[in-house]
Amino acid sequence: MAMKALDIYKLLPKTNCKKCGFPTCLAFAMKLASGKVDVDLCPDLDEQTRELLGGATRPPIRLVAIGAGERSFTVGEEFVLYRHERTFYHQPGLMMQVADTWPEERIEGVVARVRDETFHRVGEDLSVDGIAFRWESGDADRFGGVVGTVEACASVPEVIIADDPEAQAAALAHCGNFQPLIHAACADTAEAMCDLARKYGCALAVRAGDLEELKRLVGLCRDRGVENLMLDPAPATLRDFLARSVEIRRRAVERTDPDLGYPVVFDTVPLGLPDAATALGILKYAGVIIIDELGPASTMAALTLRQNIYTDPQKPIQVTPGLYPVNAPTGSAPVLMTVNFSLTYFTLLGYLEAAGIPCYLFIVDTEGMSVLTAVAGGKLTETLVADAIKTTELENRVDHRVLIIPGYAAPLSGKIEEETGWEVRVGPGDAAEIGEYLETGWEA
Amino acid sequence: MTSIDTVLASGRERLDEEMDALEGSVGYEETAYALPVTYAVTGMAVHDAASAREAYAASGSSVLVAGECLAAAGYAAEGGEGEPYTGFVPDTVLRRLGYSLVDGSIAGIGLVAGSPDDADAAAAICREMQEKYLLTFLAGGVIKTLTEAGVKVGLEYRLVPLGSTGMAAIHFADIIARVAMMFGGVQPGDTDRLLNYAAERAKAFVIAFPGLEDEEVAVIDGFRVLSIPILTPEGYEGGEWIRVPYLEAVREGMERRGIRVNVVAIPIPMACSPAFEGKSIRKEEMYVEFGGAKAAAFELLRVRPADEVEDGRVEVIGPEVGDLEEGSAVPLAILVDVAGASMKKDYEPVLERRIHTFLNYGEGSWHVAQRDLVWVRLTKDVVRRGVAIADLGRLLASKFRVEFPDLLDAVQVTLVTDRERVEAMLEEARAIYDERDERIAGMKDEDVGTYYSCTLCQTFAPNHVCIITPERPALCGAITWLDAKIAYEIAPAGANQPVEKGELIDPVLGQFEGVNRFVKKASHSAVDRVSLYGMMEEPMTCCGCFECIATILPEVNGIMIVNRDYLGDTPLGMTFSTLAGTIGGGAQTPGFVGISKGYILSDRFLQAENGIERVVWMPSLLRNELKGRLEEKLERMGIPELFDKIADETVAVSVEDLAEFLARVDHPALAMRPLI
Amino acid sequence: MSEEHNPEPGNRILEVRLGATKAEGGTRERVYTVGGAGTFPFLGAGPAAGHPPRIALEICDDTRTWSPIVLREVGDLAEDTGAWAAAAETTFGADMVRLSFTSTRQRGFDDFASLGTTVEEVIGATKYPLIVEGSTEPAIDSEVYRRIGEAAEGERVLLGTAEADRYRSVAASALAYGHAVVAQTPIDINLAKQLNILLHETALPPERIVIDPYTGTLGYGFEYSYSVMERIRSVALQGDADLARPMISSAIDSLNVKEVREADPETADEVAIRWEFYAAFSALIAGAEIVCVRHPGTVALLREALRALLEGSHPQEEAYGDESA
Repeated sequence: MAMKALDIYKLLPKTNCKKCGFPTCLAFAMKLASGKVDVDLCPDLDEQTRELLGGATRPPIRLVAIGAGERSFTVGEEFVLYRHERTFYHQPGLMMQVADTWPEERIEGVVARVRDETFHRVGEDLSVDGIAFRWESGDADRFGGVVGTVEACASVPEVIIADDPEAQAAALAHCGNFQPLIHAACADTAEAMCDLARKYGCALAVRAGDLEELKRLVGLCRDRGVENLMLDPAPATLRDFLARSVEIRRRAVERTDPDLGYPVVFDTVPLGLPDAATALGILKYAGVIIIDELGPASTMAALTLRQNIYTDPQKPIQVTPGLYPVNAPTGSAPVLMTVNFSLTYFTLLGYLEAAGIPCYLFIVDTEGMSVLTAVAGGKLTETLVADAIKTTELENRVDHRVLIIPGYAAPLSGKIEEETGWEVRVGPGDAAEIGEYLETGWEA
Repeated sequence: MTSIDTVLASGRERLDEEMDALEGSVGYEETAYALPVTYAVTGMAVHDAASAREAYAASGSSVLVAGECLAAAGYAAEGGEGEPYTGFVPDTVLRRLGYSLVDGSIAGIGLVAGSPDDADAAAAICREMQEKYLLTFLAGGVIKTLTEAGVKVGLEYRLVPLGSTGMAAIHFADIIARVAMMFGGVQPGDTDRLLNYAAERAKAFVIAFPGLEDEEVAVIDGFRVLSIPILTPEGYEGGEWIRVPYLEAVREGMERRGIRVNVVAIPIPMACSPAFEGKSIRKEEMYVEFGGAKAAAFELLRVRPADEVEDGRVEVIGPEVGDLEEGSAVPLAILVDVAGASMKKDYEPVLERRIHTFLNYGEGSWHVAQRDLVWVRLTKDVVRRGVAIADLGRLLASKFRVEFPDLLDAVQVTLVTDRERVEAMLEEARAIYDERDERIAGMKDEDVGTYYSCTLCQTFAPNHVCIITPERPALCGAITWLDAKIAYEIAPAGANQPVEKGELIDPVLGQFEGVNRFVKKASHSAVDRVSLYGMMEEPMTCCGCFECIATILPEVNGIMIVNRDYLGDTPLGMTFSTLAGTIGGGAQTPGFVGISKGYILSDRFLQAENGIERVVWMPSLLRNELKGRLEEKLERMGIPELFDKIADETVAVSVEDLAEFLARVDHPALAMRPLI
Repeated sequence: MSEEHNPEPGNRILEVRLGATKAEGGTRERVYTVGGAGTFPFLGAGPAAGHPPRIALEICDDTRTWSPIVLREVGDLAEDTGAWAAAAETTFGADMVRLSFTSTRQRGFDDFASLGTTVEEVIGATKYPLIVEGSTEPAIDSEVYRRIGEAAEGERVLLGTAEADRYRSVAASALAYGHAVVAQTPIDINLAKQLNILLHETALPPERIVIDPYTGTLGYGFEYSYSVMERIRSVALQGDADLARPMISSAIDSLNVKEVREADPETADEVAIRWEFYAAFSALIAGAEIVCVRHPGTVALLREALRALLEGSHPQEEAYGDESA
């Protein structure tokens, strides 16, 4: 069970020595309680307390790093079963597969896509995270050769899919230093795989369709000195994956089964249904998802879903405040003010784009609050608007002085007018009506 | 004058006789419900005299069943009466009527039966029923009386002529029985559910005029079992029939069955919308102003007995806008009188605050401040378009009715612009304000049996439940106990729900059995118990909107309070926003609690931790804001020196400096029992 | 109900029946029951698994605001609502049609008679249960829902959409003509609950309500909808009877977003289908019992996915076929 800050505080030295980097023991206790720092930062705890606090405050799922360099990523360190309970922290890595039996061009094609293809959404560049090499040829040297060729032209995180330690060794000889994920050890190969994982300092996936067997493999690997583990529940169907992944996550976050406290790998390729499987992996707790050659439409949708699911539900996503031109506006175009709550922004933007009316979207910083909340909470004020007009140099961007504010900001219209000297008009309360409003009512 | 008690017996007797004499087939066409009342009451589908008698016996000799069997026998023998009478209403038509009832386009139904002596009075009653969105059924001589007086009848006029005799009134009952079966899921024969349905949902009443035969009186009297009140303006006395003056019959009937009409349009020559709320009216745009610094003005909303409030009545006492010169400043009293069965005196101040909002909805009207500080302006523009002072009253009367449909049944507004009268009433108003303040300030948690919840924040803090008590406003500071109570009255399914305190578990912690039960359910079982008056054991959860956070400072055995507006560091070593991020989201975090500013001044403030005497630090901003009221409170407690012992950021930002300061001033918290 | 008759303890989602056979006073050849589950989606087996989710294809009576991508795909069908509806069942393989009366959204709409005609036409052309969406304008609600309800009398269609400030006409129509109701609230668990309570006060039985917690589009707030569906299912299973209702999900703006609208014409269908699929599939995982899409191609993709999720949990005939047979 997780501990409350005060219970943790009682076990700390209460010296406010600041050696942990926090000004007081209580502040440190609060950080510990939320799982954001490690108990080891406190140098003055006895072994027993350290263990007790560690067990209660460390993330129930281990953090595992895949890859080296710029595009490396980490997975794990999750705390909850449902994102509304807190949030999901580390989005799964999508690893697009190539097989060593494929013709060179096909492999190159996938590699180039993984390396170069990005989609830009909401101030973020979205892309597939890396490549999964699948050993299909039965020839270890050939496998090593393919990995080597790719390694020479792309530095992205990798998964090496081969249940044969020799094939793994051949591949790792080329990429082992870049911390790929070794996939996967089973009962027979655990020993050899562990040796490889230790040799290169890589993470290792263990694979079994039965949770008890997975736990046994975890124990085996840990005994052989490998701590960075991932679990592949070897699903035969989507339904299998859902059931097993949910069960693993549940037992891990409830801290009832520490041996299941590792991120999950989902190899979707053998299941077919690439879109459904990828989406399921994103929604239901996969840390690494091995995907087939998804087309660009699927990739974009999958990456967007991942971005959605991994936003913090308690912290509304914020749009950067500023002036956004919509539909190529000129100096006479209307200026629509609203808040930087992303949902407000997107909804409004959608309707404006659909209406095809050139205008400026003028976003002020309400710290992600919606119009209604920002007005009620006093976050949206006339000074905020006046300052934003200055910072965006709005007066130089348009040749009129008329500001359209959201319907729910109507109580502020007079004050904004006074403070800014701009003429304020009150727009509709519902974004859906903005097109009609601008078509019928707008003239500067 | 007919005595109900006398004719009831003979009426019943005659019904019995007629039932005995019944012959042949009995039944209606175009219905799937046989004889609807009989079917609903007994579950028996009657089709001939024998089965009619059987059903009559099974119903315990219900007059409604008798009336229906007899009417249906007439139908089977001779058919309906024909034009202009509708007779038995077929299922398809009824379905549409039922639709309109549920849909709200018909507010309720009424039956007018008998033969009125005064045609004009009867016509007036019917007109009023039409205006109030009621669907009126007519039975007996009244139909002829009305048509002769030029009143058009027919379904399209919402005046349905059932039949030429009072006996046609039975169709009113078969309509209700079928609506219960069609729309209410009442099974035939389930009399209890039928009666329940009628009691809860049948928005129906009867107005009876003279000239009814004894057996007709008996049948109509039988409607009472369906919770339908029988009102009579003339001709009858005694029994359970209610005597009403002509003019009040409709209002009385509607009130007894809780029938309400929703007002929609506001009849004034000025647009009225929330979009205009924030508009200000500059001096040069203004035609006339009231109050401000230039003339006396005040507003007062009071609850009155129903018979003293005439809904929609607006009166201006003193000069109207046409009598005033452009640019003048005039005194004004805005008197809003309201009536409503569930309206309470305690709600007055909360509703009164809405005068401000509503007047600002007007395109050319503007209102600031409250009570005797109000300041109102009207623009030249709208005055030119014909807006008068009386229109402000109309605006208020309509808005109050629209916004509080369940709370208010009637609103009348008086606007006084006569200087002497305004000044004379001002003193009286001030006395009322004072009295209200005292009542609210003096309201204690133990004075009420019900607290209120707020779950608005569950959108982002899924398991957070705010419990609002008279002494502990919502932690956002925005909702007091009274606000929540009224919010509940207005929207009974809304985010503010009543919480029965239940048995007291711990008076110091402020734990109540009922509160715990509520919190457990509303938090979806995430929180089992809450202490309303403490922060160390099972404190209330925190959403994220709290005005202030109170946290313990174990090193100095005290409590610090930090408010949202203070951006700097605190002795705990965390800023408000870091702290808020750590404890928010709907979690229960012992040692930390979100609170409103108002709660700090309450006697219940963290009493489990020794309350205000335990407070060792708060930002100067908050300290200054609370200064007057806090000093007063400490004075009353006999510890006036405490105020200066509470540190702020100018004295200490680190816990070390704070400890030093507290030791120097000998803060009482240092000597209290340890918090941990 | 005694323990004996209720072998699976715990809380269940209420079952809602859609469609009526001839014997029940309608003309449907298939009827569906949705809801009934006692676990999170696709995790249960046996009775706890509830009834399988259904896929609806949305069509409309006035195509002016409909996605050009879909219109291109369906071609002439768009001009013949009945044929479009028939094709949804036969050619495109949807479990049901959701007919949206987009004509009522135009300003000054008053051709109320056309609504009844279209409903009758679609009823005649289809064999499976129907969802019918009326107006969004309170001023005409009363007339619109009466016409629709009356024309579909006895068919037990799912009527949409009731909202907190305008639910009376929809509820009245459902009560008068024997239909079920979609109750929509904007991504908030408590508002969803409140609307159910309001509907309860109209005497509409709970087993005739399907909750629509509102589905935002993928990339445009979908995460709020996903979580609110998970929360509703979660508190329902914890015993909150007001929320233990089946859910319907339709990311109606999917085909209006920039990514889809501005897609290269060559790949537009691909993009449209994926954008709908990822949201609809995720909604199924979060607990939606009815998912609605507009592109015919999305239906097939969803069907395959659903089959893989349901494998082994439902009798074949219920999962994919005719329940009433």
